[in-house]
Amino acid sequence: MAIPVTAPMVGKILNLVAKPGDQVNEDDTLIVMEAMKMEIEIVAPSSGTVTDINVAPGDSVDPDTVVAVIA
Amino acid sequence: MAQTREEIEARLRRIEQRALEGDVRVAERQRAEGKLTARERVARLLDSGTFVEEFMLAETQVTDFGMAERRMPTDGVVTGFGTIGGRPVYVFAQDRTILQGAVGQAHGEKIAYAIETACKMGVPVIGLYDSVGARIQEGLDVTKAIGKIFYANSIASGAVPQISAIMGPCIGVASYSPALTDFIFMVRGTSQMFITGPSVIKEVTGEDVTMEELGGAKVHTEVSGCADVVADDDDACLAQIRRLLSFLPSRSGEPPPRVDTGDDSDRLVDDLESVVPAESRRSYNVLNVIKRLVDGGDFFEIKGRFARNMVVGFGRLDGQTVGFVANQPNWLAGAIDVDASDKAARFIRFCDAFSIPIITLADVPGFMPGVAQEKTGIIRHGAKMLYAYSEATVPKITVYLRKGYGGAKQAMCTRELGADQLLVWPGVELAVMGAEGAVNVLYRREIESAADPDDVRRQKIAEFNERFSGPFDALSKQFAHAVIRPAETRIRIIRALRMLANKHEDRPRKKHGIMPV
Repeated sequence: MAIPVTAPMVGKILNLVAKPGDQVNEDDTLIVMEAMKMEIEIVAPSSGTVTDINVAPGDSVDPDTVVAVIA
Repeated sequence: MAQTREEIEARLRRIEQRALEGDVRVAERQRAEGKLTARERVARLLDSGTFVEEFMLAETQVTDFGMAERRMPTDGVVTGFGTIGGRPVYVFAQDRTILQGAVGQAHGEKIAYAIETACKMGVPVIGLYDSVGARIQEGLDVTKAIGKIFYANSIASGAVPQISAIMGPCIGVASYSPALTDFIFMVRGTSQMFITGPSVIKEVTGEDVTMEELGGAKVHTEVSGCADVVADDDDACLAQIRRLLSFLPSRSGEPPPRVDTGDDSDRLVDDLESVVPAESRRSYNVLNVIKRLVDGGDFFEIKGRFARNMVVGFGRLDGQTVGFVANQPNWLAGAIDVDASDKAARFIRFCDAFSIPIITLADVPGFMPGVAQEKTGIIRHGAKMLYAYSEATVPKITVYLRKGYGGAKQAMCTRELGADQLLVWPGVELAVMGAEGAVNVLYRREIESAADPDDVRRQKIAEFNERFSGPFDALSKQFAHAVIRPAETRIRIIRALRMLANKHEDRPRKKHGIMPV
């Protein structure tokens, strides 16, 4: 089952930690974004394989923007 | 003809045997699912051999729909008292091996009695839930009994600690009993809580959902916030309950147990400065701060996976139980949202009810901005924190680790909200808003009309930062009692706790406040 990973809040993508094909565990950092002048880690909601990374550094995201997909 | 003593003995033994054994096939099924039976759970929860059972031979008095023939001793719940860590507690455990643990009239009344009596005797009450639900054959009799449970839970609230463990299904209206208690434990994979089950949902809304997706441990400890602690199995769950109780007093008005932890009250925490990065945009895990501060690194986190931008839980300092409330910078930047407010406010009120000092570790960028937050009532929910902190008369110590912006500063317990000690680290930043936003408001015309707007903006930002970074303003304006070096945080909190040991504060006479909920 594909699990969408969403941005938790309005902000800007800083860098990508995971890439498609990576095996990740629950709570592993996938992407680092910036919001409220803070770096925020977007973590894997569950263990699995990263199938998609939908954003690039510099992209603006809204809450609920799907930034990655895990299957 | 009257029965002989031998006949009475033999009959008693037969009934007791039925109560103790229950339905052997059900017990086997429990074990196959990795679960313990109700009696095994009670035995492992309590100190070995201390359980004293009450109303073992109680049966339902309802005879409708064949209940006269089906009734069983205990009526599907084991109740009584014993000790945990040498201290008395009341306990009840629903027994799936008897009438599927369904709640009947006698069953409900036994649970209500256990809660009422725990409250009267000033001892904690622990409920272990595992039931198929209300016994529909018993109609209004069971409805009345469940009502008595809710009333008993509500009246006991704040008088004695009430702890619930969901160790199987806990469904329908019965799930409001644990909801009225202070802490809910769930077992991963084998416990579910919901009001309407999958079949009713399918019928009414057409949604397909499994019991686990609807009300499993993951849902309630991460999304709904209905449960506090998740355990991997029954044994771990029961051990966690024992551990939680070790932090708590037996009743309101009694100080929490003092433990000789062997940790040095003059211990410096040298690496705190490196755990918390100086640069305020860098994030860190505040649990690493708390674990370095508390005695022996022993911290019992509550709701660890719900509203993770706010950390709450129990630890000890100088052997004394304290409650921690801390912003978590590595989750949503530590901003306070609806769920974080609820989580913190509820915990603060528990600590205040049970004489547990509150240590607040603040590093907060603000309330969470956004349409969704406003529409879900961040005003109403955020108000809970202000209310709970102001209402609390236990010792309140706040440490500003790094920053506080906007109204969220107050939500982390300032002196104005009654902090007895407010300490700041040297690098603290305290302002109404961030430099860039503030400068754009304060100097908009000046910047717009400047020959080089960017240059003026940069200059004003630098001025603003100079004005508000560091502890100077906070000290000069008596916002903080003192600036402390990070390494001496533990020592300074312990010294404050000792000074506050006899703290007493009266409030205006009234029936009760109207907490925003």
